[in-house]
Amino acid sequence: MKNFWTRIVDELSQAWIVTLKDIKVYYLRPGMIMFGFLMPFFMFFSFSVRREMAAGEGMSRLLALTIFFTAAAAGPFIIPTERRLGTYDRLLAAPMSLLTLLLGKIAVGAFFAIVVSSLAAIVGFLFLGASIAQPALMIGGIIIGSFTFSTMGLIFGSIPTRNPGDVQMPSTLIRWVLLFVSGVFVPLAEMSTVARGISYLSPLTYAQDLMNHAVLGTGELALWLNLSVLFLSGILFLLPSIKLHKRGRVLGY
Amino acid sequence: MSYAIEVHNLTKIYPSSGLEEGFLAVDQINFTVKQGEIFGFLGPNGAGKSTTQRMLTTLLTPTEGQIQVLGHDLAQDSYPAKRQIGLVPEESNIYTELTAWDNLMFTGRLYLMSKTDRTARAEELLKDFGLWDKKDVKAENFSKGMKRRLSIAMAIIHKPALLFLDEPTPGLDVQSARTIRTLIRQLSAEGTTVFMSTHQIEEANQLCDRVAIINHGKIAAIDTPEKLKQTFQQVQSVEIAFTLSAEGLEEKLTTLPEVSTVLKIGDKWRLYTDSPPDLLPYLMKFSEKENLDIVSLNTLAPSLEDVFLQITGQQVGSVSEESSQQKADIRRKKGKQ
Ligand SMILES: Nc1ncnc2c1ncn2[C@@H]1O[C@H](COP(=O)(O)OP(=O)(O)OP(=O)(O)O)[C@@H](O)[C@H]1O
Ligand SMILES: [Mg+2]
Repeated sequence: MKNFWTRIVDELSQAWIVTLKDIKVYYLRPGMIMFGFLMPFFMFFSFSVRREMAAGEGMSRLLALTIFFTAAAAGPFIIPTERRLGTYDRLLAAPMSLLTLLLGKIAVGAFFAIVVSSLAAIVGFLFLGASIAQPALMIGGIIIGSFTFSTMGLIFGSIPTRNPGDVQMPSTLIRWVLLFVSGVFVPLAEMSTVARGISYLSPLTYAQDLMNHAVLGTGELALWLNLSVLFLSGILFLLPSIKLHKRGRVLGY
Repeated sequence: MSYAIEVHNLTKIYPSSGLEEGFLAVDQINFTVKQGEIFGFLGPNGAGKSTTQRMLTTLLTPTEGQIQVLGHDLAQDSYPAKRQIGLVPEESNIYTELTAWDNLMFTGRLYLMSKTDRTARAEELLKDFGLWDKKDVKAENFSKGMKRRLSIAMAIIHKPALLFLDEPTPGLDVQSARTIRTLIRQLSAEGTTVFMSTHQIEEANQLCDRVAIINHGKIAAIDTPEKLKQTFQQVQSVEIAFTLSAEGLEEKLTTLPEVSTVLKIGDKWRLYTDSPPDLLPYLMKFSEKENLDIVSLNTLAPSLEDVFLQITGQQVGSVSEESSQQKADIRRKKGKQ
């Protein structure tokens, strides 16, 4: 039993080391800044310019966008880059479990999203003059959402390839689809029944509704539902990544 | 436990490659590596060296076969083996965005070394490897040789019992390559078992206690370099240089009795023969008849290169063709083809 716990502590520390290393190496890369930092702000402004929108509404939308895009930007960029450079082999050969490695990589995207979302929150608070109904829920929501969407991004990073370009296309496409069917640009309450039914398929819908709860104090869906869907999909998103990594080991990547 | 590596019927078929049945890269190989030895895995490009090494280091799942590394079956629990092996992959894959020091600290922590251990060891390695004054320089500014040395330092920071090196010296100048070979010898002297893939024959000859020659995914021969050479006494040769070259000399030399192949090497001719003593009188008569003065004359024992060429089925002196399509049933018997 003691061995078991030492091993867990070891593995957690290894995950953390991988995360720290990636933060040092990748956070300031143009690819990360472009897809992780500029993109959500750009999307927010291009879709919000024409519309009259209350400050709180704008802020909760910006938060959902930054969590979603920023968190999912790291995985598809970092792992294929490391596979191409051959540095990924170092991590795969190190004495740690695949889950530990994945956890480390998930945290990279999640922390990036937490930082960028905090910036978004400050922008909303200072410049849009929004007030926040439940600050603790906002912080908790940012954290859980960031981890969920980072895990989603990791699926694309796990596709066996040495070329980040191969992964960027499908990952961007799917993220846009998930964005447009979600309740980010058209609030759930204004959607037709069919559109609303489809929007439930996008995890972003729940993140947006969660942010509405946190910032505006009200949402269309139950708070517990938002939280559990995000949490569970975060866990489920791990499965394809594990499978794809095993496949990569058979194919030789 | 006397073996560092035990490999049994190891096979890898890559599923992709557009071939329906997959691509057979490693075909039912068996070998053992003893503790403490430098074991060379020698083969031409595409022979399956990296594929084998990647399976031994858990990076690649075998299609078939068993691997025991330091007494642990990799298919069952690779963790204890992973803790004791070090890996220098095919490319010098260090983190170029990090300094030499940070690269070492990262690996040290990944291998769960305490802070005092890893800083002491990193200092020792950087000093040994001539990188101490560059410790705070980002590795992107390093030369190839420095990157390679750093890559090796990263692989041995945790003092692995078994070190894997995939092509330790390609693309390095003579000086850097020598430094690296010296490092490998030192490690071995300190008790580390070394498994090294290479296509450089002379490197294997100089470094390795034993060599496996792999070709088309199969092991063609395993032995010490000297014993391998002895097995191939028939590829002896006589090297001769004349003061001047004559028209059609090559053809005439080829027609001499006892000569199997003629190869022009710089200003010399190398004549392959089963029996140099029998050839020499013919050579003397020939030079008299053709009015050629002999500058030098040497008889040569087979080099590891000759052995290698013989085994890998490339005609001595012919331009070898890299086969793109390997067939499982290509079998070349030792010493004849
Ligand atoms: N991921 C892969 N998918 C399909 N085929 C592969 C893959 N990796 C290698 N191969 C093929 O398997 C064969 C053996 O490759 P391997 O890299 O093991 O050779 P090698 O002996 O290391 O050669 P080199 O000296 O060029 O490094 C080659 O023909 C190669 O094309
Ligand atoms: Mg290779």
